Amino acid sequence: MSDWIPLWLHKLGSPPTFYRFAGVLQPWAMALALLLGAVALYGGLVLAPADYQQGDAYRIIFIHVPSAWMSMFIYAVMGVASFVALVWRIKLAEVVAMESAPIGAAFTFITLVTGSLWGKPMWGTWWTWDARLTSELVLLFLFLGVIGLYHAFEDRRQGARAAAFLAIIGIINVPIVHFSVNWWNTLHQGSTVNVFGQSKISAAMLWPLLTMTLATKFYYAASLFRRARTDLLALEGGKDWVRKIAEDEADR
Amino acid sequence: MSALQHFLAMGGYAAYVWPAYAVFFIVLIADTLAPRLRRRRVLAELRARLARQNARQERKPLSTPASP
Amino acid sequence: MTRPGLATACAAMLRRDLTLAWRRRGDIAMPVLYALIVTTLFPFALGPEDTLLQRIAGGVVLVTVLLAMLLALDAMFSSDIEDGSLEQLVLAPQPLALMLGMKILAHWLATALPLIVIAPLMAAMLHLPGAVIPVLLLALALATPLLSLLGAVLVALTAGTRRSGMLLALMLLPLCVPAVIFAAGAVAAAQQGLPWLAPVAWLAAALVLAVVLAPLACAAALRIALDA
Repeated sequence: MSDWIPLWLHKLGSPPTFYRFAGVLQPWAMALALLLGAVALYGGLVLAPADYQQGDAYRIIFIHVPSAWMSMFIYAVMGVASFVALVWRIKLAEVVAMESAPIGAAFTFITLVTGSLWGKPMWGTWWTWDARLTSELVLLFLFLGVIGLYHAFEDRRQGARAAAFLAIIGIINVPIVHFSVNWWNTLHQGSTVNVFGQSKISAAMLWPLLTMTLATKFYYAASLFRRARTDLLALEGGKDWVRKIAEDEADR
Repeated sequence: MSALQHFLAMGGYAAYVWPAYAVFFIVLIADTLAPRLRRRRVLAELRARLARQNARQERKPLSTPASP
Repeated sequence: MTRPGLATACAAMLRRDLTLAWRRRGDIAMPVLYALIVTTLFPFALGPEDTLLQRIAGGVVLVTVLLAMLLALDAMFSSDIEDGSLEQLVLAPQPLALMLGMKILAHWLATALPLIVIAPLMAAMLHLPGAVIPVLLLALALATPLLSLLGAVLVALTAGTRRSGMLLALMLLPLCVPAVIFAAGAVAAAQQGLPWLAPVAWLAAALVLAVVLAPLACAAALRIALDA
């Protein structure tokens, strides 16, 4: 391996080291997520004023928009981890990519459901074939495809590599889908929907939104650590360090 | 109307706002619980396997002299 | 041992796959039959009004062809995996991507071409105006190879798994959205008397890109899926 990568990064790539590292960080990430989430909820649901156009219905924004950002962010993380997993065949990168997929699917699902709950009072419909909505739906199918392919293989690592390849194909696909859906919608003279309208978002609404975004980021980190730790235990079942953990936890 | 009732009514949009928040929390709680349950299952399986291995190793020295 | 030239190898590959397809003529007829049945069912479900059928004809034919191709996609490599000839191909000195490209071409000739041939019949059953049919055929001629190429990559990825039918559909859906949009867009534009060249050009651009990249991706995917 090249010299410019510091030694600690190599060490972090080894499963037992990462297991301990993630175990230390996970409670902190979860605590930060809960704290920031509570602050954001208070700011968004109680302190922020009602929107002059949308009334109180706009308050869905504080979970809808952070979830939408997370769905794309997690897909990007999954793509990068997949690339690393395929090029350098690092076991940890496979674990990170594959354990990101269910979290990403969860956030994409939340985005779709909250968006439809927001759309009903605002646009008068649960669903419209708007470019952004359709792209988000396609994103959900991409996540589900990755999860499905991963579990279709009997050999876990082989499944991870195949699904990583699919994730990379998906990353190329997302902008193409977005472009084509945009083109399609203008052809069909679809309803021109603009979530934010012309109204600029005020500071009282912005800070809870950004705080919630941070909270979801920390939540993702915590959830990923938890999932990766579990997955490493399952993958490394025969190794001594995993046996020790199994025996230690039996005593409790 | 009390302040709490006013808050819960969400300006008449309660039927949309609260389900949205409920979905958010239910999905994320499920996402938090799933790996915990899986971890317990994985470790239990591992312990069962180790116990089987140990039992086999303990039986071996006893059974070999009797085999010929 | 002298190595045969690339052109010879490609021709041999193509001939082998087409011969195999011809020996199992019944399998070729299945997607065609399926497409005809689906097209027949639509008027029963929606009513026999000409205007309604005309409006949906282009989209129905496209989606039906897509589903019929999906039906046949599963079998693209399965028999070659069963008898081990695909592993021989991976080990062969010829570039794998090129050989797979030939296999995809053979598969397209055996499954998509019959569908394109009966597409005018399906369109006529739904009262698509005769003037639009050439555009429909052009869109199909560009969209079906695109689907074959994209599908081949996914089929290669699932090569190491058992029972992949539904999974294949789930994975193909996000990838085929642009192809369906542009192909149906061209037909719809032609039907409304609007210029239809732009979507056809986008389809052609996507096809050129896929012809270059998909066989390479297919080869990489197959190496991953067969690597035990």
